[in-house]
Amino acid sequence: MNALRGQLELWRLHLAVIILGAIAELIGIQKISFGIGAILLLPLLYAFVMAALMNPNVMPKLGKFIREKEVKAASPLIVIAIMPFIAKFGTTIGPAIETIIEAGPALLLQELGNLGTIVLAFPLAVWGLKMGREAIGATFSIAREPNLAIIADRYTLKSPEGTGVMGVYVIGTLFGTFIFAILASLFASSGLFDPRALAMACGIGSGSMMAACTGALTEVVPNMKDEILALAGASNLLTYATGLYAGLFIALPIVEKLYNATAGKNDLATANKKEA
Amino acid sequence: MSDSAVAMERTRPNINLTDHAVTLIIVCLVGLVMNTVGPAIPLADGFVGMVVIYLISMVGLILTRFAPFYLPSVAWISLVGIVATLPWTPGSEWIVAQAKSVNFLALATPALAYAGFAIAKKEIEVAKHSGWKLALVACLVFLGTYAGSVLVAELILRLQGS
Repeated sequence: MNALRGQLELWRLHLAVIILGAIAELIGIQKISFGIGAILLLPLLYAFVMAALMNPNVMPKLGKFIREKEVKAASPLIVIAIMPFIAKFGTTIGPAIETIIEAGPALLLQELGNLGTIVLAFPLAVWGLKMGREAIGATFSIAREPNLAIIADRYTLKSPEGTGVMGVYVIGTLFGTFIFAILASLFASSGLFDPRALAMACGIGSGSMMAACTGALTEVVPNMKDEILALAGASNLLTYATGLYAGLFIALPIVEKLYNATAGKNDLATANKKEA
Repeated sequence: MSDSAVAMERTRPNINLTDHAVTLIIVCLVGLVMNTVGPAIPLADGFVGMVVIYLISMVGLILTRFAPFYLPSVAWISLVGIVATLPWTPGSEWIVAQAKSVNFLALATPALAYAGFAIAKKEIEVAKHSGWKLALVACLVFLGTYAGSVLVAELILRLQGS
């Protein structure tokens, strides 16, 4: 029963999660409406912010109750805490299997839509902000764990490409849930898109991004809740299956070629000038 | 740290099922509190629902450990949840009914609280060091990935005319 003792020694951490989580649940979902739409604030966002404020690395002065020991132990607990959530999502997919099959072509092909990051982020990074090879790592994908592995394998994480992917990874870890809650709120309240399409797109990132995204979406379109959860869950599962390969064989080669054909030439020119 | 359930996982490629079983119970109990406080689902209903969710997670972990090919644990757990609730699986109606007593957002709340506590010094440093340029690029990465998926899905759904 070493496992149980180990967890009981972390009572501070679990107790803090229960208290902050309960406060967050009591505050409940809040809606901020403005001109073009509405942004939904979800309990999971408050829970994250409150926990971060108690974290000694974020707020050294406030962080007394939670110590470095708890911080270290919390990281692998995220993965375990997300498991019941994923199981719950699975149970929404089974009953909706006909909806999923019907939406099959859209579900499969929307994975290719992930390349939208290259269209939008790459030009800004390279031409707008004059970034170097960091842009390759930063813009080829949504920078979740499988994508980190691709860059680590090909360039190492200490390379400029590694710096790029790590930067987006960390920002995704810190602010991803907020960004997804906002994106889903705005897209859904615009009324321009099929909620099913918005639901499928919710599955492109990590579990917590999907939670924030579907949470916001089901608030805007409550009568399609079951369908939204099923499609997002199916899309997320598909991302696990295809994400690694799409990144490795499609997205990264495209970004590398784009970079070498454009900014890479300048790099070479400056390097030559320096030598001369 | 050495006897904590999850510290061992890092050094061991194989999942320690006992450790995970214990840790998952704690995590599920925390989730049950959220499920009762927030969505106000009666505790008895939520409890049975949570037991079902726990069992699905555990079967998924067992498969991760013993299946002949590797898939991430979340993928296995998801697949078990799907198969258990397919219309032609015996008893699926009961499982679906129980799982409905568990609110998905309530389960995400503790996960994000753990995530807030897990922020490491290094992550703060990376975020500071990367600066506003990478933050701006990251926002466009998320927007581009999301919008790209929405547009393709929307297009296909319209082409299908459904």
